Amino acid sequence: MSFSTKEYFVRETYKSVRRNGFMSAACISTVAVSLLILGLFLLLSLNTNNLAQYLESQVQISVYMEDSCTADELKATEATLKKLPGVVKVTAISREEAKKRFEERLGDQKQLLNALGESNPFPASFDVQVDSPERIKELTPKIGELAKVETAKFGREVVEQLFSLSRIIRFGGLILVFFLAMGTLFIISNTIRLTVFARRKEVTIMKYVGATDWFIRWPFLLEGMTLGFLGAVVASFFLDSVYGAMLGRIHSTLAFLPMLPATPLLYYVTVFLLLIGVGIGALGSYISLRKFLRV
Amino acid sequence: MNNVSKVYGSNTALTDINVHIQPGEFVFVVGPSGAGKSTFIKLCFREVLPSSGSIFVNGCDVIKMEPKEIPFMRRQLGIIFQDYRLLPDRTVYENVAFAMEVIETPHRKIKRRVLNVLDLVGLRRRADSFPGELSGGEQQRIAIARAIVNDPLLVIADEPTGNLDPETSWDIMEIFKEINDSGTTIVMATHDKEIVDGMGKRVLAIEKGRIVRDEQHGGYGYEL
Repeated sequence: MSFSTKEYFVRETYKSVRRNGFMSAACISTVAVSLLILGLFLLLSLNTNNLAQYLESQVQISVYMEDSCTADELKATEATLKKLPGVVKVTAISREEAKKRFEERLGDQKQLLNALGESNPFPASFDVQVDSPERIKELTPKIGELAKVETAKFGREVVEQLFSLSRIIRFGGLILVFFLAMGTLFIISNTIRLTVFARRKEVTIMKYVGATDWFIRWPFLLEGMTLGFLGAVVASFFLDSVYGAMLGRIHSTLAFLPMLPATPLLYYVTVFLLLIGVGIGALGSYISLRKFLRV
Repeated sequence: MNNVSKVYGSNTALTDINVHIQPGEFVFVVGPSGAGKSTFIKLCFREVLPSSGSIFVNGCDVIKMEPKEIPFMRRQLGIIFQDYRLLPDRTVYENVAFAMEVIETPHRKIKRRVLNVLDLVGLRRRADSFPGELSGGEQQRIAIARAIVNDPLLVIADEPTGNLDPETSWDIMEIFKEINDSGTTIVMATHDKEIVDGMGKRVLAIEKGRIVRDEQHGGYGYEL
């Protein structure tokens, strides 16, 4: 492709976007809104997933011992636990410590424990940390079968609920994004259809003097891609500010929530949105051009 | 063209047309309205495909041609219409240059060539005007300039003088004659008896979709 040709394409695209100022603006806003929603869902889903993974890596197995076991038996169990593959750390919690922890948790309502008198219903236990989340599922039943162990369990429910929440967000987001993408496609191809219609005389003459289909197509494709690109730029801009503000809020109020940091996450999301915008723009133009090129 | 027929739905536009046009010829296609002249013209640049038969233009088989070859076939043709078909938002110069731009001619060649053909049709001084500011005859001359700017082997004209008064028509014909003298083949559909009679060129008469007359130095042959 020669330089004059490229220059011609760029000039035509620019002229056309300007000539249809209002339609172009409307089109860019629609693309921007759709992509913004897509971006928000993406961030939400990535963060829920991240949260679930974080919690999963944090979980430990709680091993509760039978009341009847002696100090020696406790020592023996501790040693056995430590030798299991994948176990990183074993913290022993005696019956007295368990009671004290419970007292602390009750805070102001400590006196409730007075009802127990001198008896201590809390079992001795171990907190077992392992090196990977997969290990937990494998080790927990094994530990449960050890002698003198009452039960062994881990915070399975929370993690699994988070994972399924993340799945729902991703799935719901996907459906929503699909419809938004169809809508955006429709808007872009309609905008381009108007441009092509306004220039159908030109297109006919181009065909008569022997312009190739691709030569005729390029300025319109570029126009669609430009609209998609600009929409994606607007969407990314808003997404960046929204996520930035949200991170600030969360850090000051819910500091324990592990959020994905803005960089490099937003770079990836921005690039993703730009690609989607440009792709939808090109596709929309291509669709609306098919009919007009049959001269 | 060999044994060419064209059927539109239930209407037969052309039946069994056999015509051979030599390079450098000047051919008028005449006949009453609806006789098939326009279809004949459209077949020549593959605006429409025939229902049967074969057509060769400049040695290319128009029917077996792949769609992507059509643009390159058309680059060897110059097409002129009764209604000029100029772009109203571009100047005369841009209208002519457009035909060169869209077939990706380098910039430096465009300017010289466009001014040359504007000279040929006598409108160089109107290069910066818009089509709306020109008379019909001037607009048609611009259309001719656009048709010949890419040096076609064959110029196809569909009623080029249909909207013009007799005097202007003769000016236009002078230009066609000049183009023909430089070796370009011309095929022209027309209703203009005076011009056909005055030029004394080959005449193809089409009636009801058939060629009824083919004379080397014919006249219009119909009474108006």
